[in-house]
Amino acid sequence: MFQEYYMAESVSDALSFLNKGPGDAVIIAGGTDLLLDLHEGKKRTKSLVDITRIPELKNLSMEDGIIKIGAAVTHAQVAESELIWANAPALAMAAKKVGSLQIRNIATVVGNIINAQPAADTAVALTALGAKVTIADTSGTRDVHIDQLYEDVGKSRVDCRRELVTEVIIPAHEQNQSSYFVRLEQRKALALPMLNIAVMVSLEKGQQRFEWVRIAMAPVGPGPMRATNAERILKGTEIDDEIITKAAYEAAAQANPRDSDLRGSREYRLQVLPALVKRCIKTAVAQVVNKG
Amino acid sequence: MNTFKLTFTLNGEVTEVLAEPSEMLVDILREKMYLTGAKKGCGKGECGACTVIMNGEAVNSCMIPAMKAMGAVVETIEGIGNKDKLHPLQESFINEGAIQCGYCTPGVIMSAKALLDKNLDPSNDEIKEAIAGNICRCTGYVKIVNAVMSASQKIKG
Amino acid sequence: MKTFNVVGKNIKRNDALEKATGKAMFSTDMNIPGMLYAKVLRSPHAHALIKSIDTSQAEKIPGVKGIATWGNTPRELFNTSATMTFTVPSMEPVLDQYIFDKVVRYVGDEVAAVAAISEKVAAEALKHIKVEYELLPAVFDPLEAMKPEAPIIHECHAGKNIPAEIVKFGMGDIEKGFAESDIIFEDVFKLPIQKQAQLETQAALAQVGSDGGITVWSTTQTPHPSRMIISKIFSTPQSKIRVLNPPYVGGGFGVRIGLSAKAEPIAVALSKLTGKPVKIVYTREEDFTSSDTRHGGYVWVKLGCKNDGTFQAMELKSALNAGAYCSFSGETPGVLGAMGLAVYRMEHMSYYGHSVYTNFTPSGAMRGFGNPQAMFAIEAAVDTIAERIGMDPLELRLKNIIQVGDNWCLPYTCGSTGLAECVEKAAKVIGWERRGTLNEPGSKILRGIGMGVGTHCSNAWPFCVDYDNAIITVQQDGSILLAVGVPDIGTGTSTTLPQLAAEAIGVEMSQVNMTFGDTLTTPFDIGSHASRTLYAAGTAVVAAGNDVRKQILEYAAVVMKIALERLDITKGIIHISGSNEAESCEGSGICRSGEESMTHISVRELVYHAHLRNKQFIGIGRTIPPNSPPWHAHFYEVEVDTETGMVKVVKVAAAHDVGKAVNPMIVEGQIEGGVLMGVGYATSEEIKISAKGKPLHTSYHKYLLPTAMDAPEIHAIIVESNDPSGPYGAKGVGECGMVLSAAAIGNAVYDATGIRFNEIPLTPERVYKRLQENKK
Ligand SMILES: Cc1cc2nc3c(=O)[nH]c(=O)nc-3n(C[C@@H](O)[C@@H](O)[C@H](O)COP(=O)(O)OP(=O)(O)OC[C@H]3O[C@@H](n4cnc5c(N)ncnc54)[C@H](O)[C@@H]3O)c2cc1C
Ligand code: FES
Ligand code: FES
Repeated sequence: MFQEYYMAESVSDALSFLNKGPGDAVIIAGGTDLLLDLHEGKKRTKSLVDITRIPELKNLSMEDGIIKIGAAVTHAQVAESELIWANAPALAMAAKKVGSLQIRNIATVVGNIINAQPAADTAVALTALGAKVTIADTSGTRDVHIDQLYEDVGKSRVDCRRELVTEVIIPAHEQNQSSYFVRLEQRKALALPMLNIAVMVSLEKGQQRFEWVRIAMAPVGPGPMRATNAERILKGTEIDDEIITKAAYEAAAQANPRDSDLRGSREYRLQVLPALVKRCIKTAVAQVVNKG
Repeated sequence: MNTFKLTFTLNGEVTEVLAEPSEMLVDILREKMYLTGAKKGCGKGECGACTVIMNGEAVNSCMIPAMKAMGAVVETIEGIGNKDKLHPLQESFINEGAIQCGYCTPGVIMSAKALLDKNLDPSNDEIKEAIAGNICRCTGYVKIVNAVMSASQKIKG
Repeated sequence: MKTFNVVGKNIKRNDALEKATGKAMFSTDMNIPGMLYAKVLRSPHAHALIKSIDTSQAEKIPGVKGIATWGNTPRELFNTSATMTFTVPSMEPVLDQYIFDKVVRYVGDEVAAVAAISEKVAAEALKHIKVEYELLPAVFDPLEAMKPEAPIIHECHAGKNIPAEIVKFGMGDIEKGFAESDIIFEDVFKLPIQKQAQLETQAALAQVGSDGGITVWSTTQTPHPSRMIISKIFSTPQSKIRVLNPPYVGGGFGVRIGLSAKAEPIAVALSKLTGKPVKIVYTREEDFTSSDTRHGGYVWVKLGCKNDGTFQAMELKSALNAGAYCSFSGETPGVLGAMGLAVYRMEHMSYYGHSVYTNFTPSGAMRGFGNPQAMFAIEAAVDTIAERIGMDPLELRLKNIIQVGDNWCLPYTCGSTGLAECVEKAAKVIGWERRGTLNEPGSKILRGIGMGVGTHCSNAWPFCVDYDNAIITVQQDGSILLAVGVPDIGTGTSTTLPQLAAEAIGVEMSQVNMTFGDTLTTPFDIGSHASRTLYAAGTAVVAAGNDVRKQILEYAAVVMKIALERLDITKGIIHISGSNEAESCEGSGICRSGEESMTHISVRELVYHAHLRNKQFIGIGRTIPPNSPPWHAHFYEVEVDTETGMVKVVKVAAAHDVGKAVNPMIVEGQIEGGVLMGVGYATSEEIKISAKGKPLHTSYHKYLLPTAMDAPEIHAIIVESNDPSGPYGAKGVGECGMVLSAAAIGNAVYDATGIRFNEIPLTPERVYKRLQENKK
């Protein structure tokens, strides 16, 4: 499977290990995707560089309205974090849905993003939340918006043989904002979603109108997909059932799911998608209203 | 081969064992330490039969490459109680008929222990969530959930 | 009523301590010095000829010790299932498998196997075996496979691709019955392929001695029949073969009645080739692709009824998907028909059913054995008729269910039924009276309640050869060793059978130990299946217990100088019957002094007394147990999300007439586990197949069996009708929890939505589609 396993001590240590050889080392975080890919021969590598013991990557914090989640932070930590529930609930909800507790205890949020599976739960939530990832290479760091991260199914723009994502950055919800996540699943645990939807709403003062709405949906394209047309319809409009319904159908019109033998036909997923988008928007709005 | 000396605390004892980087903890436990309590029902993180507690968290030992156990504190079913002094979970699993074929049992008990170590007052739903990664095909989970519940009562005293 | 000391008590399981502490040994845990590991090369094609196999490259890999193919293994036909050892004449067992053949008939079929010093080396070697295939046309649907243009999978005498026989039976005059009916319901139902998905995959460890003796530790549910099969394959006398469980088995549910897929013969073949012990453990994926499944296929039902609700006639037909090899495909259609027609009383019935070979994983035995398939169709018919005649479906069932002494289609009598009590009790728990009032108009979540009733067997007779033996040896220290050839696959037999022995003899539970699941230490038994272990093996245990008791009492009568008829044994003390609570005389030395006024003596002391006088008590039970119907009524409350099609089972009330619950806690466990497996069958479990015949659901992640979070609230209710034929009144229960889930959930979903589903599982997509069509 692999011959060498290196436990990196710092980001620069990890980067220099990655870059010292001929590109046959690869980053491992929780390994819940990578080990299976290696086992099944979908990926090959000589060496693994483990980043989960790098102290600076274990950070989960909020400062000046910005939430930072280090690359060693697990789904379980996010799902149990009051900070995330209070300031980015869609992410906590999504993290709680991943696999099983044993998986969540080792799998990382960043790994979930980088692995770029179309239905990756936290990636969908993070897309609605407008997250950015910080990518480090030997020359420095850069921030990339999550929308710009995906090239194709299973392919992110991060080259994990050369680069390292150090953290995800999310703007915390303001008083007038909230988010929600729903998932269509065939089983309550240990099941990849047939559909997952995350929505973030920002309401105008008085809570009668949307300021803006961000809707992310998957698996309906290569990565989490923004329902941009639906978002446009809702922007600045008065909140009512009719417009939400219209936007929900618009979201479906933009989605492009594939037929899956395991997780439902394209047709079915397109048909139920509006109902899920609606539930998501309505609950997110209600959450803002409940904040007072 | 890059065989290395794996040092970790296993059931309270500092343990050293030669391991290869690509070996998984479950195989080290079962093949090298002869601790066959943790079972291998899938080898892919999908059944929980191999669950052990590592640094306080329930994990699938089939998904833990040897190096991740380096320096870690690992608990297996063999370490939490024995016939003379059972862990309250073992006791209630026995008393309440939560064991049938028993192949899932060590894993389920370890998941439940990780839960009770943190939360002595779990609700039914919290118990179910904690053991949802442990497939049991025999029991329908009814008596398992009851046993975890009564163990929590017992520990609380 | 007779009172019991041991039977009927929630005695802690004998195996629980070992299992709770991680000490219990399973086949996959076995490890013996010098042992090699085996891996199997499997066919990627659904149907192909093997033109050539080249193992030369693989053999060169360091650590590879032997490679088995069709060329160097026995060319002896067999059937992995125990059917080849106990098919009743004049029927002939179907033998259609070799360990390896020159033709592969499904994706996952065995091509070759490697034994090496580690699993890793063996797996690597597989990659270097070169196989040249010539593809053959393949067929996957049983109805397609019967057509003249379909490829021949095996030559069959009963019809195109029909293994074994077509099963036909009935009574009365079916045409007349329908002619007399006021209302007739007729429809066809389609069933999915379900997987046992037991937690321990198929596994075996074989060791061949220098004298040719074979020892196999394995996951089989039937050590003795497995030994017969191995004996045939390797032309070795049965008496030189030992098959045993180590001693535990990580679940069965029918998947290893007979061999554990091909784990045993592959391990033995490789052990013979290499001269070393060889262990094979199937991966989870192999377990899915290459060991028996539940039969999918088609069931037709036609039910005729009078306007007053009296059933007149029922016609039942089936065509089941056998997969690529026969396994239990001869018996399953028979049991489907027999159980389906045994629930309701009517004059006219007929059944016609069979299996059909296809190029898919073989179907074999799985909990319920055809019965859940039958009841899914029949209970839909009953509910539909009830609606048409405007009768409460519960009342309609009560009106028509079989009563003791009724004429029915089975070759044994219905000696007991507590079904009406089951219906009454479970209806109360579910709140049947709420039915029809559960939904507000316009609600997006619809609720419904549905029910089903049914029966099953307590034994395999007369469907197969079936006799039982038990030996009880009283040891010199008074402890008692019970030897029975059944395993404990998790159902608690290593606790309940000793309970029966203790009760029969009159000793404490702690005095009885048991050896089981081992052909060397136990007499022949056909094993754990057919809900029979407690009922059938139990009759032999009770007989052996009574035999020992008689011997003890006869000896005691002489020693104590008290008439035999006046003596009794209670809690290990022999005493004058009727005398109040037997006091222990242990240690009093009475027996040795031979005192005149002896009124009590412990079994322990008596046994030693006998030992010193050259006598031992050995009880033998040799029975040909009859059969008897257990009964069950299941009620399910469901929620259907009309926006997504998601069906959620909320609450289950499952009442079972088990005759007598020898250990109520174990009985409840059987019911609860069966119910949840049934919920999976009804709502989410299915192995689908690609256009090229590749199974798609081959892991726990993909195959959607319920997790703890999916489990509904389950109420297991025990009803005791005290069967006259069973040990202390007991009947079967092992499979029963699984029989009615699909049937009753189908009815509950109908109650919620007004839509009748003729196909399961009720996946959200399937349900949503019909909800949409219904709107139009
Ligand atoms: C049984 C099971 C159930 C699952 N269920 C779900 C589910 O319900 N929903 C879901 O979304 N996912 C699910 N997953 C997948 C989920 O566990 C992963 O996507 C996980 O989040 C990945 O994180 P990881 O830390 O394990 O990543 P790894 O496997 O360690 O890495 C994944 C990829 O990302 C790269 N990588 C990781 N970290 C970095 C970094 N910091 N910088 C650069 N590259 C990096 C690796 O090189 C690798 O290519 C499941 C997995 C299993 C085994
Ligand atoms: S063996 Fe580790 S999860 Fe199944
Ligand atoms: S007891 Fe058999 S799988 Fe849980």
